[in-house]
Amino acid sequence: MANTVIGSSITIDGEISGDEDLVIQGTVKGKISLKESLFVEASASVEADIEVQNVEITGKVTGNIAATDKVELKADCRVVGDVRAPRILIADGASFKGNVDMDVKER
Amino acid sequence: MAATKDFTASGESTIIGPSILINGKLSGDEDLTVRGRVEGELSLTKTLIVEPSGVVKANVQVRNAIISGVVVGNISATESVELTREGRMVGDIHSPRVIIVDGASFRGRVDMGNAEPRPASERPAQRATTVSRPAIRPAMVAAPARPTIVSRPLGKPQPPAAPVIASKIDRGEGSKPAPPPPPQPVLVGEAGKKKVLLKKKK
Repeated sequence: MANTVIGSSITIDGEISGDEDLVIQGTVKGKISLKESLFVEASASVEADIEVQNVEITGKVTGNIAATDKVELKADCRVVGDVRAPRILIADGASFKGNVDMDVKER
Repeated sequence: MAATKDFTASGESTIIGPSILINGKLSGDEDLTVRGRVEGELSLTKTLIVEPSGVVKANVQVRNAIISGVVVGNISATESVELTREGRMVGDIHSPRVIIVDGASFRGRVDMGNAEPRPASERPAQRATTVSRPAIRPAMVAAPARPTIVSRPLGKPQPPAAPVIASKIDRGEGSKPAPPPPPQPVLVGEAGKKKVLLKKKK
């Protein structure tokens, strides 16, 4: 599993960047840029622009998402914002509002 | 590494991995383990653990802090701050308990709150002043300028003849501070003798 976990009672207001998987269970505002995968879990609330390789969202995200590989909106997630990625999956039960752009091969 | 707690994928602890940089405000009600970098502001109601690979450049408010990595900034803890053998810190610590072990590196101020008055430390201080009094007086006289080290302002500059007598008197009477003998009569006496001698020679 991922090295970095932002726990459910944690609030971060600012920028997060790194080269490893990140699991968010808490609240993050600002900007997230990773070279690996981001997991936004059910308890999480993210208000941020996201730039990652992969992202899996089960919680709440407000902001634009750009992934170099894949964006996965799981059931029960709530996403507001534009999504750009070569692969975008939206599961049954997911709530999403925004633009989808799958054209980009490489950003 | 004794402080390392590996909660594998348990939701009870927050871990900032070694390649992660967080820039901004971070707050929370759970333990936080930093193996990467955190810059800005950090406030927790529980324990902050900075592991050897961790770097925190922030003003930190926590309950406990265990530092094995690098911290640059001020830490204010409601319970304790511990700098382990591998810990390096620059900044001020404000905490009722501060532990700095051998091998730790620290530069800054430490404030443990109530600086409790210790009578044991006051007694030697008083003794030191009484003991040093006779010593101080000749030194003071030897240096014609007003010496800055003397805590007791002894007003008048005395001629070099006086100190020997003054210190002798002090020793004879014990630790009781004797009033400095007026140097003037001695001088006058010497002068008088000289004059008398001169008169005799003539």
